[in-house]
Amino acid sequence: MNMALKEMKKNKTRFLIIGAVVFLISLLVFLLSGLSNGLSEDNMASIRNLPDGTFHMSEEAEGSYTQSLIEEETIQENTEDESFAFSVQMGALETGTQKHSLAFFTTTAPSHFPDVQEGHVFVDQSLKQEGVTAGEDLEHPQSGRSLVVSGFVDNERFSHAPVAFTNAEDFRTMFRMDQKQVLYTSKNVDIKGLDAFSKKEFLASIPSYQAEQMTLSMILWFLVLISGMLFAIFFYMMNVQKTGMFGILKAIGFHTRDLFIMMWTQMLMITFLSVLLSVIISQVASFLLPETMPYDLPLETTLWLAGLFFAVGFLGSTLSGLHIRQIKPLEAIQQGEG
Amino acid sequence: MITFQLKDIRKTFQSGDIEEEVLKGVNLSLEKGRVTALTGTSGSGKSTLLTIAACLQTPSSGRILFQGENLASLREKNLRKVRAEEFGFIFQSSHLVPFLTVEEQLEMMVEVSGKQGCKKDIDSILRRVGLSHRQNSYPSSLSGGEKQRAAIARAVIHRPAVLFADEPTASLDSKKSMEVMTLLQDMTTSLGMSTLLVTHEEEMLAFADQVVRMEDGRVTDR
Repeated sequence: MNMALKEMKKNKTRFLIIGAVVFLISLLVFLLSGLSNGLSEDNMASIRNLPDGTFHMSEEAEGSYTQSLIEEETIQENTEDESFAFSVQMGALETGTQKHSLAFFTTTAPSHFPDVQEGHVFVDQSLKQEGVTAGEDLEHPQSGRSLVVSGFVDNERFSHAPVAFTNAEDFRTMFRMDQKQVLYTSKNVDIKGLDAFSKKEFLASIPSYQAEQMTLSMILWFLVLISGMLFAIFFYMMNVQKTGMFGILKAIGFHTRDLFIMMWTQMLMITFLSVLLSVIISQVASFLLPETMPYDLPLETTLWLAGLFFAVGFLGSTLSGLHIRQIKPLEAIQQGEG
Repeated sequence: MITFQLKDIRKTFQSGDIEEEVLKGVNLSLEKGRVTALTGTSGSGKSTLLTIAACLQTPSSGRILFQGENLASLREKNLRKVRAEEFGFIFQSSHLVPFLTVEEQLEMMVEVSGKQGCKKDIDSILRRVGLSHRQNSYPSSLSGGEKQRAAIARAVIHRPAVLFADEPTASLDSKKSMEVMTLLQDMTTSLGMSTLLVTHEEEMLAFADQVVRMEDGRVTDR
């Protein structure tokens, strides 16, 4: 006989309330995580899409890619195998009536970026929704340079703008910039005059990215912490109310372990049902939310967060239930008869 | 036949610098199929003696002899097993589990005792305590007498060797008290249990085969 389930069946309202609260908090965590991930993708997809490697910037730049300039000679010496250098500049391209804000990328080797011919451009597929078509002429207003759209690339964004991959010559004309800003090497090597960053460090060095992610992460972790405390408080209240009953059960021969199993079963049931519902809704949300909304919740993140909820629930309920071990059957009997 | 014995049981409580001896060398024997009533004034030590006999607290000294073992020397792990398998408990309040039906209370006890074979007796026990029609009821919907009868059924369903009843009629009116005591006496005889009953109600002593009076931690009369 499963006493845990029988208690839940008898006291539906009590358990529904805690289930509803866990559901709402976990849903909020999933949605926030989706938003955080989506914003991160929107901000840095083009960097995150690169394989793990080392990003080098000039020492004088002090970790800011906008200030970094790398000598051509250094690039020549270090761009073997999978290594390449690239530059990023924010700007815009115009069609007759529309202006499209873009992040312009150019690279020394098209190993991870598209190979672009001079006078052409590859743009993120989100520009399709803005009415841009393949073969269309787009003009860079400052330089007057005209670029033909050769095609579209998937999920290439930087600093919340769609990315435009350009040829080095066009990039030089548009931004009057000869040198590259960042050198990417597939291996972790030290290069004289350059500071090395892992991908994670490179992303963290970008101020907007760090501030955005830190805020969202803080909210997320607070919510996880709150849900843990909620479990602890809820089960503590329940256990305090049931102290007398636990004492009687111990008196008639119940093992303390059985009482913990009863509590854990209830915690698992509540967490499973609440989190399952949250997972379903948060996954469905990715299909229902408008495409312009940065929302991305991969299954691995979902499973990781769900696991976290189980761990936090287990910890919260176990801590709150520690006093069950101290319950003396005799005291419970005497209290009940007082 | 003697099934359970208390030998020279002493219990001392320490309160600050003051030591109080509430049991002063009590000897008691319980016989199979007989109800032994323990009575006395408030503070005479009768309830303390019952809880020591039921292994819910340890004596300061003395022996509790049951099935060839001195229970006073066993560890809590082993005592729990003895309580689950060999003892039955009836308290002043019924102490039924609020979220289990009457039938489930009995099923729970069968599971705790590990005597799965007793499950088949649930219907007959409920019939004997007059609760067949209430088997699917929760404690909250039972009357005081029904609750206590359900508690008796739960206490005996696993056929314990010893039944401990601490003031089982204290919260009942006299008619229901008589019903409960009749049932207790009947169960003791038919199931061959040794019952130790604590009561301060003189009328209930008529249901006992042996009456033990206590005063100031000592047995004064039997």
